[in-house]
Order: sequence, then structure tokens, then C-alpha cells
Amino acid sequence: MFSRRTRFVLAALFITTLTFVIMDLRGGQGPFTSFRSAMSGAVGGGEQVGSLIFSPFLGVADWWGTWGDQRDRIAVLTTENDELRLLVERSAADRARAEQLDGLLRVAGVGRYEIVPAEVIAVGPAQEFAWTVTIDAGNADGIERDMSVINGQGLVGRVQSVTKNTATVVLVVDASISVGARVAGSSEIGILSGTGRQDSLEFQMIDPGAGLDPGQSLVTFGSKRGRPYSPGIPIGEVVSVAGTAGQLTRIATIRPFADVSTLGVVGVVVRPPREDPRDSVLPDSPRPSAAATVPNIILPSPTPLASASASPSPSASAIATPAGSPAPSQEVERAATPEPATGRSN
Amino acid sequence: MWGRQTVLCTVLVFAALVTQQSFLTRLGLPGATPDLLLVTVIALAFAYGPLTGAVVGFGAGMALDFAPSTAGPIGVAALIFMVMGFVSGAAVDPRDRNPPVLIGIIGLSCGASVIAFAAIGSILGDVRVDWEQAPTLLLTATLYGALLGLAVVPVVTILVGKITPEVVL
Repeated sequence: MFSRRTRFVLAALFITTLTFVIMDLRGGQGPFTSFRSAMSGAVGGGEQVGSLIFSPFLGVADWWGTWGDQRDRIAVLTTENDELRLLVERSAADRARAEQLDGLLRVAGVGRYEIVPAEVIAVGPAQEFAWTVTIDAGNADGIERDMSVINGQGLVGRVQSVTKNTATVVLVVDASISVGARVAGSSEIGILSGTGRQDSLEFQMIDPGAGLDPGQSLVTFGSKRGRPYSPGIPIGEVVSVAGTAGQLTRIATIRPFADVSTLGVVGVVVRPPREDPRDSVLPDSPRPSAAATVPNIILPSPTPLASASASPSPSASAIATPAGSPAPSQEVERAATPEPATGRSN
Repeated sequence: MWGRQTVLCTVLVFAALVTQQSFLTRLGLPGATPDLLLVTVIALAFAYGPLTGAVVGFGAGMALDFAPSTAGPIGVAALIFMVMGFVSGAAVDPRDRNPPVLIGIIGLSCGASVIAFAAIGSILGDVRVDWEQAPTLLLTATLYGALLGLAVVPVVTILVGKITPEVVL
């Protein structure tokens, strides 16, 4: 079919390739290995020149090989970036909320208030001269008119009106508010009124002869069945006292604990504690050992609570409580009676 | 004539080898690497006939075997390219060239070389041969071979006509 020469050349080439294959597969050192490395060097030199020539065009190869990947990666990274940024922003807000909830839980736990947590969703306009906020809990959550509203610092206000899912809270600094309050560490009581300014309240003592010093704290005295104010909620501390002991009226200026301009998470006291928590809820009340006090406070049964909470509380109140308990209870009625009247007039 | 023919074949084969090893392999195209060297060998075999095709294929395969980036035993590519060059040259009558047939032969040869490499590798006990990839490699090698043939065959034909006008095309 083919010429003799063709067949001869083909056979020679065939034998040569097979020889190379066999010699290469045998491996080991020898003249063939050095021949191979010499040949590789020659071809490799050509490849180096080629790569020099072609290197400017290899950027195209990178582009070709990665352009789809890069677009996907950019999309993935952008999405991830957005999610992470959202997470960072949310975590800061979540931390703030968690801190507020922690404070609220501490107050509710120490004072044994049963609360419904809620968040402030709107604030009343300042030009109405009323300090009100709207919270996102209402009838459906068991909230009714004239319930106390607290936060982690203390008394915030009371519920003025309720809808199904929201409630309006009139804040303690509102000028129409008056709260029966007791000076912490003693049984001196008086009536606290809002002034319309967010950083000051007025406190008028029932007994003009009693002593009152700046730095003392006030807690709520409590109303009948805890409406509108549950007992023992911290309100604020005395900043200054006008008039001297023995004057007909003594008016003290009070700075509220709760900063009403930065309200976030609040709690509505749906059921007051069975026992007046006295001064135990106050954040700075000098307790001998907080570790010993707090577990006692949150005992499930309220009966041992009275004896347990009385012993670690400050000596003045601890002594005053058993001795003067009948006297303040009569004053409770007196102090609380005018108060709902002002509440209804709103 | 023999001198010029040898020079032309050597230069073309070397240029194709360098282009393939330095550029086409690094393009990162999906599937097989476009086998410019084999396409050049076959294009030369179309022009000069089966014997020259076999010799050129042998030389090109040897150069590819000795290239530093080739890992297989030396002689395998030479054997395959030799057979491809011979068969291609024998299949086509230089005086009766039909371009679609030429491109088809180039594409099929490139695909066949993939199978041949895998088969010989398996016979020689090369554990790296992955037959699961074979269909993809076969398809892409055929496609790339045909595309390269569209560009290479006219260029080689023109060069052969200029440098060795004695060869009737």
C-alpha cells in the first residue's frame, strides 16, 4: 500500500518511540537521564522566551478565568457586608435594650412587682405642656388604667388611658401628677408633684417638723390596691430643701431617678407586691450585704420575706417598721385619698 | 526543497509548542487544553503527505515529551503524534482538499489523541488517568481542535505555498 521507504521510516520511528518509552519507564540514573534533562533544558528555554512574549496577554487569561467568580464574590461579599453592618447596628441597640430590661427585671424582682414589659413607641408633643408617652402594650396584655409604670431606674409614671394594643402613660414629671411618697430610711411621708420640667419634682412633707436632707431618696408610698402607684418604687433623690424645720410648709426639690427623655423599655406593674418592699428597691440603699439580701427577697413565699428583708435593711427603717407600722397605715389613707382625685381630673 | 521544508516544519512546530506551553495552557479554558501542536502537525501532514506528517509528528511529540511541564514517559506523545500525522496525511489527497473535511479530521484527531493518551497511560500503569473526565476532555478537545484548525490550516497552507512552491496544493 505504501512505499518501502515509508514503511521503513514508520517502523524506525515506531521502534524509536517504544525505546524511549521503555528506557524512560526503567528510570534510574544513566546517559538517558542526562540526555532527557539536557533536552528539557532546551525546550524549557524556548518556553521561557515564550512566556516572556505571552506574559502581557496572560492578564486576559486571568480575566477570563475569574470574571464570573469575581462578580459572584462581589455579590456575596456585598450581601454579607450589609448583613454584618445591620448586625452591628442592631447589636448596639440590643445591648441598650438588654441593659434597660436588666434594670427593669432587677427592680421588678427585688420589689416583687408583677410587670408587663413594654416599649415606648411615641412621645407626646411638647407644645401640649403634657409629659406623656405611648407604649406598645394595652388591654390585650392585661394593662388597665391607673397602673404604675416603672423602668430600671424607678417610677416613670402611670397609665392614663388604654387601647387594645397601646397605652398612654403620663409621666411623673407632668405638672398634673401627684404621688404619695415616703422618705427612704424613715417613715416620713409627703406628696410629690410634677413641675412640668423633666429634671425636677416638688415634694411637700406632711409633717413640717421632720428633718429632710439633700441626698435622701424617695420611694412611692403606695395607694389602695396598688392603683395608681405600687409601694416601694424609687422615685428620686432630694436635691435641695427650701425652708427650715418647723415652718408651715417645707418644699423639697427632687431629681427623678428615671430619665424621662431617654425612655426605652418600661414595665407596667399589673399586680403590686403583697408586702411593701420598703426601701429594698432603691439602687443606692446601703445594704450590709447585697448577696445575702437579694436571694432572700426573691423567695417564693412572701411570709418569710417580711422577716428576712427586715433584718438586712438599714437599721433606721428596720426599727421603724415594726414600731411605727400602725401609724403610717393610717397616713396611707390620708395621703392616698386626694391623689386619685387629681388622677381623675386629668 | 528538503532543506526549506525541514526549516519550515521545525519553526512551525517549535512556535506552536512554545505558544501552547506558555500561553494556551495558562489561559485556564474549561476542559482540555487547545492542542495547537497537534493541529499544526496535522496541517503540515495535509500539505506534505503521510511520511512527512509522521516524521513531523514524531519530532513534535518528542519535543512535547521533553518539555519540562510534561510528566508522562517520554515517547508517548511522539508515538501518538506520529500516528496522527501519518493517518491524516494518508487520509487526504493534497490535490483534492475539502476544507470542512480537513477541519473535521483535525477535530476528530484532537479528540482521539485524548483517548490515546488516556489509554496508553492506563496501559503503562499511570494512576493519574481519570476516565470520568474523559467525555468532557474529549468534547472540548474536539471543539478546540476544530476551532484552531480554522485558523491554522489556512496559515500553514499559505506558508507552505510561499516557501516550498514545488508542493502542489
